[in-house]
Amino acid sequence: MKIAVCIKRVPDSETRVKIASDGKSLDEAGVKFILNPYDEFAVEEALRRKEQAGAGEVVIVTVGSAAAQETIRTALAMGADRGILLQTDKIPADGLEVARALAAEVKDSGYDLILFGKMAIDDYNHQVGPMVAELLDLPCVTAIAHLEIGGGKGTAEREIEGGVELVEFPLPAVLTADKGLNEPRYPALKGIMAAKKKPLQVKPATLGAGGLEVLALTPPPQRKEGRVVGEGPAAVLELLRLLREEAKVL
Amino acid sequence: MAKGAGSRETFLPAQYQPPLPLDQLIIQDGAAGAGDRMELDVVIVGAGPAGLAAAIELAQLARRDGTELNIGVLEKAAALGEHSLSGAVVNPRAFRELFPDLQEGDFPFRGPVRKEAVYLLTADRRVRLPVPPTMRNHGNSVASLCEIVRWLGEKAAALGVNIFTGFPAASLLVDGPRVVGVRTAATGLDRAGRPLANYLAPNDLVAKVTALAEGTRGMLAQAWCEWRQVTAENPEIFALGVKEIWETKRALGTIVHTLGWPLPSDAFGGSFMYPLAPNLVALGLVVGLDYRDSALDVHGLFQRMKRHPLFRRYLEGGEMVEWGAKTIPEGGYYSVPTRRSGDGVVMLGDSAGFVDVPSLKGIHYAMQSGMFAARAVFAALKHGDPSAVRLGDYDRMVNASFIMQDLYRTRNMRLAFKDGFYAGALKAGLMTLTGGRFPGGRIAMPRDADVARRLTPGLRPGSGEIPDGRLTFSKVDGVFKAGNATRDTIPTHLIVGRDVPSEAADFYARLCPAGVYERIDSGLRVNAPNCIDCKATDVLGPRWTPREGGSGPKYKRM
Repeated sequence: MKIAVCIKRVPDSETRVKIASDGKSLDEAGVKFILNPYDEFAVEEALRRKEQAGAGEVVIVTVGSAAAQETIRTALAMGADRGILLQTDKIPADGLEVARALAAEVKDSGYDLILFGKMAIDDYNHQVGPMVAELLDLPCVTAIAHLEIGGGKGTAEREIEGGVELVEFPLPAVLTADKGLNEPRYPALKGIMAAKKKPLQVKPATLGAGGLEVLALTPPPQRKEGRVVGEGPAAVLELLRLLREEAKVL
Repeated sequence: MAKGAGSRETFLPAQYQPPLPLDQLIIQDGAAGAGDRMELDVVIVGAGPAGLAAAIELAQLARRDGTELNIGVLEKAAALGEHSLSGAVVNPRAFRELFPDLQEGDFPFRGPVRKEAVYLLTADRRVRLPVPPTMRNHGNSVASLCEIVRWLGEKAAALGVNIFTGFPAASLLVDGPRVVGVRTAATGLDRAGRPLANYLAPNDLVAKVTALAEGTRGMLAQAWCEWRQVTAENPEIFALGVKEIWETKRALGTIVHTLGWPLPSDAFGGSFMYPLAPNLVALGLVVGLDYRDSALDVHGLFQRMKRHPLFRRYLEGGEMVEWGAKTIPEGGYYSVPTRRSGDGVVMLGDSAGFVDVPSLKGIHYAMQSGMFAARAVFAALKHGDPSAVRLGDYDRMVNASFIMQDLYRTRNMRLAFKDGFYAGALKAGLMTLTGGRFPGGRIAMPRDADVARRLTPGLRPGSGEIPDGRLTFSKVDGVFKAGNATRDTIPTHLIVGRDVPSEAADFYARLCPAGVYERIDSGLRVNAPNCIDCKATDVLGPRWTPREGGSGPKYKRM
């Protein structure tokens, strides 16, 4: 089983991000970067599929800056076999450009599965996985929460509003991982040592400008301060009145 | 111990402190329970300034010599620097020695100290004091220890050092009197200690030499000293510092230290306020853990302190962006263990007590001790003999160096304050004038846990602060701002004494800056995931042990 996992280096969700002076990008100073959490599920699933098959290769592919090598090493420490960095100083805002670069890289390489996280937690676009599938003319199942592979085909479960959807698809296929697909493993000490020696190929990314441009980023509005309505039973009536008349939620 | 034992006027913390769990901290090599086993030449416990300086010096020595050394550094934080906290004003001399080819501007400092001021505070006024000679910082730089550690980590990694973040060392592996490595803490246990799906068994890292650079109140260092009966003339004593980082509207151009208010006169301590950038200010309050009032609350005092005009004028309208706390070994010269080396082991930095309180310095001593240890270890490995005799060279280098000279000069200054601020200030002044010769001799100190605490009713130092969420904050706010996102289903890592009486429960609740302990009707509630590894209660009460890697705070610029 040969599996590609396309990952992204993103700011840690616990980082307090600041908008850079240009008003349309993040100030990266002091920001900690991590492997996109949804991609962790994808890496874990790839490792389990390979382990289940008893043979194969898990290849990590990313588009990003030189620093993304560190993110690839994290996936290698978890157990992936090798990495490919398509290096660029700036990831285009247009997901289609990223998808084109990734599709060109994984095309004709004999992958049975191409896995993604269902979205990156920095741009929330949910785009690149399905776009790669389209560019490669492969079936695509997004936001999978369970996966079975066997006999040249797969079945995946998707958690949809009010129930579970069961989807069958032929291989090769593109899948995007949702939370709950598995419990990603922690890198083991031996894995971390081994990761340093695993092959990591760096080549320049070929990226177009794309059709999208970020004009501005703005922080969410400041949350209004809370207020103590009062104390004791009398406050309940006042609270009800405020919820009705001011907040208009009742 | 029966509930409510002891006199009602005083309370002795030692009475309720459980012993160090030696059977858990020192285990025979080959004991069951480990997963992977890895062999290294040197394993270093703790990626702080001491451990990383040791790793860098070792790697440089090996490179120059053309030998290959397999060096591993274990760090309990999820990422480099996330458990490191200091003031800090740094003396650059150890950086210069470790990186002779770099310029001052290359070091990870925020900027040189340009102006400094020391004040004695009262509740609403301040009196500017002449800067005591020990506290003059000309030539030193303001820095964030988190940033220093990340920078040192990059240098070490570039030299081929293996840095394993997220792996706390939980036990020393021993063979006879010899330390042969460490066992890491398990990961992925539920509250009852049962393995979860992502369970990762402990790993054994065996090495020819183990360097303990765990930082303040190092657990393995304590265990090793107790096991090998290595003592010092005085017991180690500690202070607790609580610190915040603020983005301010008003620029600060001076490093500021204060004495006096809001501390009671029978507590030793003071505050600091440093500019990391003109509008980025680090400030904190440090209080000796030999304070006498059982209800003293360092976090609460720190919050009260910020209301003083000296601080408020900078902070008002700004935003608190980070919070943290850590203990500091304050015993100085007489508390440094008589030897910091043994068969297969060396002890570095704060774990060995290389801190000079009068000058508020420890980082350059930590790094220098790491470099000396690296030289002794390298020579011992070359001789194929990492025994106590060979590694004793490390102690000899430290003893002959500025580390012990500096600590000797100020040997009694912190200790003079054990009988209160005013008597202490007078004695410390005389010591400064006489170069440490008067008063002579050694001032004997009790362990902090052996200092009796008053149980006075009424107004208490630091209690009764109601945080406003703008200038002052609760402990829970603090833990959040420390970035602590510890999984709340991990097993508790704190060992609490049995039958803790209500006065001890109250004492722990005030002592702990992170709200781990809560007095409830029937006794004590322990919110272990809140813990930010400051080790304050390890000094005076419940014992700290390492938990799942990556737990605890995630400091960025502390």
